[in-house]
Amino acid sequence: MSLKELFPAKYVTGFIFSLVLTVAALSVWYFDLSYQVGLSILIVTAFIQAGVQLIMFMHVGESEDKISIYTHTYYAVAMGLIIVIGTLFTMIWGYQ
Amino acid sequence: MKIDHSVPKEYATEENRLKIFGFWIFIGAEVALFGTLFATYLTLVGHTATGPTGSEIFEIGPVLIETFVLLTSSFLIGLSVHAMRLGNKKAMLTFLGLTLLLGLTFLGVEIYEFTTYVHEGAGLQTSAFTAALLTLLGTHGAHVTLGLFWGLAIIIQVSKRGITPETANKSFIFSLYWHFLDVIWIFIFSFVYLKGLM
Amino acid sequence: MKEYFSRFAIENADDPMIIGAQISIALVTIGIIVGLTYFKKWGYLWRTWLTTVDHKKIGIMYILAALLMLFRGGVDALLMRAQTAIPDNGLLDAQHYNEIFTTHGVIMILFMAMPFIIGLMNVVVPLQIGARDVAFPRLNAVSFWLFFIGAMLFNISFVIGGSPDAGWTAYFPLAGNDYSHTVGMNYYAIAIQIAGIGTLMTGINFITTIMKMRAPGMTLMKMPMFTWSILITNLIIVFAFPVLTIALALMTMDRLFGTHFFSIDNGGMDMLWANLFWIWGHPEVYIVILPAFGIFSEIITTFAQRNLYGYKSMVFSMVAISALSFVVWTHHFYTMGHGVVVNGFFSITTMAIAVPTGVKIFNWLLTLWKGKIHFTVPMLYAMGFIPIFVIGGVTGVMLAMASADYQYHNTMFLVAHFHYVLIPGTVFGVLAGFTFWWPKIFGFSLSERIGKWAFWFIAISFNVTFFPLFISGLSGQARRMYTYSENAGFTIYNMISFVGALGLAFGFLLIVYNIYWSTRYAKRHLTEDPWNGRSLEWATHSPVPEYNFAIIPQVDSTEAFWDQKEHGKELFKGNIEPIHMPNNSGQPFIMSAIFFVFGFAMVFSMWIVAIISAIGIFACMWYRSFENDHGHYIPVEEIEATERKSGVIANED
Repeated sequence: MSLKELFPAKYVTGFIFSLVLTVAALSVWYFDLSYQVGLSILIVTAFIQAGVQLIMFMHVGESEDKISIYTHTYYAVAMGLIIVIGTLFTMIWGYQ
Repeated sequence: MKIDHSVPKEYATEENRLKIFGFWIFIGAEVALFGTLFATYLTLVGHTATGPTGSEIFEIGPVLIETFVLLTSSFLIGLSVHAMRLGNKKAMLTFLGLTLLLGLTFLGVEIYEFTTYVHEGAGLQTSAFTAALLTLLGTHGAHVTLGLFWGLAIIIQVSKRGITPETANKSFIFSLYWHFLDVIWIFIFSFVYLKGLM
Repeated sequence: MKEYFSRFAIENADDPMIIGAQISIALVTIGIIVGLTYFKKWGYLWRTWLTTVDHKKIGIMYILAALLMLFRGGVDALLMRAQTAIPDNGLLDAQHYNEIFTTHGVIMILFMAMPFIIGLMNVVVPLQIGARDVAFPRLNAVSFWLFFIGAMLFNISFVIGGSPDAGWTAYFPLAGNDYSHTVGMNYYAIAIQIAGIGTLMTGINFITTIMKMRAPGMTLMKMPMFTWSILITNLIIVFAFPVLTIALALMTMDRLFGTHFFSIDNGGMDMLWANLFWIWGHPEVYIVILPAFGIFSEIITTFAQRNLYGYKSMVFSMVAISALSFVVWTHHFYTMGHGVVVNGFFSITTMAIAVPTGVKIFNWLLTLWKGKIHFTVPMLYAMGFIPIFVIGGVTGVMLAMASADYQYHNTMFLVAHFHYVLIPGTVFGVLAGFTFWWPKIFGFSLSERIGKWAFWFIAISFNVTFFPLFISGLSGQARRMYTYSENAGFTIYNMISFVGALGLAFGFLLIVYNIYWSTRYAKRHLTEDPWNGRSLEWATHSPVPEYNFAIIPQVDSTEAFWDQKEHGKELFKGNIEPIHMPNNSGQPFIMSAIFFVFGFAMVFSMWIVAIISAIGIFACMWYRSFENDHGHYIPVEEIEATERKSGVIANED
């Protein structure tokens, strides 16, 4: 089996993209950035990389159930954000 | 058992489709699980009491190794599933074996990381911060460990029974699990280590 | 040696109630073992019940366990009401009282309401969607046995080691080692954890089942309302229970491994426990109420003989309730010290969640309008539910206002509120559902006469028990206190409440008597459709054969069975074919038994036993991975014989 068949473009691109995003995230450690800028970079790179994994590696859109699975994934992300942000809101930010 | 030959083997039976669907639901639950661990960590990250802070104990070297190793293993498991869909059992097992090897490497580095922390006075009982940190990392590590055994079981079954709708289904679901663990690591890398070292 | 075994003893071991419990548990266990041996029923027990993967049998076991737990929790309640009926009463001391309100709460919510609902969903949902079983029958069995083992572990705490005593909400630092040094809270953390794993698996199972195994033609908007409520409930389960898993794990680590998540020293944050607990805890109460709403929708439509008014808005209101249920949790601890912005936000979301519930109440009333109403026992519960639950609901809106809540919080007003939603909601719902679907499962109906007496005793006594608590709560009676002095002025309310509790107890005993009487005297196999039902579960035999339907029905409306009866629409087309069914398996039971050993070992910090049993659990999973069990086929002749015996061949008109 040829290398081209075993190493499809989708996966290689996804892999390289993930590495690029990781290096981009590293910039917050390497450079002296403000807290807001650093955190924004981390949030953007993390969520994009998660999306790369989901779409290019996990084949989230390939089956007959893709609407259910996409809906479920959005709901799960919303849940995760509610739990994290809600906890920080109630436990820390609320105590101003 | 009706087999649909127009779709990849892992989707080819009704039972297979149910299992993949069910596993996606499980992943949603795991998002809530790790979300709670992140919420706990981010709440307690400043509660270092008399113990060290993150910036005092985090070392970028091992973290980069762990990240690169896990990312590559996620790439490799993707290649394994692709080879499986092409019917190439040898390539599939090779990529799967390499995935697990990298997973083992990841665990090795993480164990080194934990023992270093303990020696530096950042143990599980030191402070709320260390407890939250080690529990978040440890839960992810425990998931990886479980994955190694699971992957090993699949390697044995595929070697013995070949690529059947059943083994293909298990391998695909395993790959979903493994990719998910990498997604969690991306968040750990960003919001535990990098944020702590900013 | 004596020192080793002394860890299992209770602190006040000469208490007559504890000795009485120890003796009765021992006697009952011996009685069961002797009885099974004498009647040679071990094989039957193993083959038919312990190894089953059939959703109907699993459902029956859940409901039976729930009924037993209803009595345990009910006895707790009676003791509490008896203790507080007289000022400075000596029936229960403070420690005892604390243990009782703790176990009452945990048992009623987690080991009575949850299994009752999960039992009903197990029995009914596959039938309502025209499926032969759930998506993952083996996992279903694991869910049940993990629940059962968790419940057993929790119950044994009373006689070995001591019951948990920090309230069902287990707030820190009280629930930590410093203030709760017996193993009671270990039982809490570990037993609920094990049962919770089972519930999460149920969530995954039923979402997959409902999304992917509906009969041909049954689109999502043609599903019966009970099935819709179960779909949404299981979505809440999938996202809420992992939060509890982590919270309990962190509690376990604090208590057993000396960590500082919730401690008051070394940076711990005790309020974090309350936060995590309620992120799970609030969705949990919607998990127990939405199925009840679904049951009432089925019952009201059946006994008013009308389609459900506003099907779409009923669905959307439940979706809205489930989404909102995840953003209201802080209303359980408004008074804990975070600022007005937080309290304001959660007040708004909490008040908002009353709106979709109100929509449902109006839709039920509009369903009744111009209907032909039959006051059967299930319908009585539904009719009782509407006004009484609304009282609970509006007091909830009162509590939702954070500033006002500083007055109501942790008084009996709050206790009255949640009992006014839980009992007319969940308890009436499961009792109604139990009565409604009983003939489908067992082939005979419960006595209407006894059932009506039970309903009236329960409905009236419930109000006598809890309404006075609104008043005493507003007067300042705090909750979770084992006694009050005469001059506090609460005596009259507590005494009335106690009388009501006796009435409630009598009503529940009538239900037990009904089960006994009907099993003995009721006529069998009169009809498959005793209530003139509307959905698919009434289209098959009573009791239901192993395979549910000889031919999978084809559906094209919301009330498929009703349309077959009224308009002659054919449900079962085609020929009978061999049916593929899963095999029984002993693994779920065995793995759960090992989980029990693991749990017990963890409670008592017996690390070697814990590690060995943990390895045993993983060994079960390893074995399962390699298993090559593909089920069996039921041949056509056997199906036809079963259909003939039940009186109807499926494809005859």
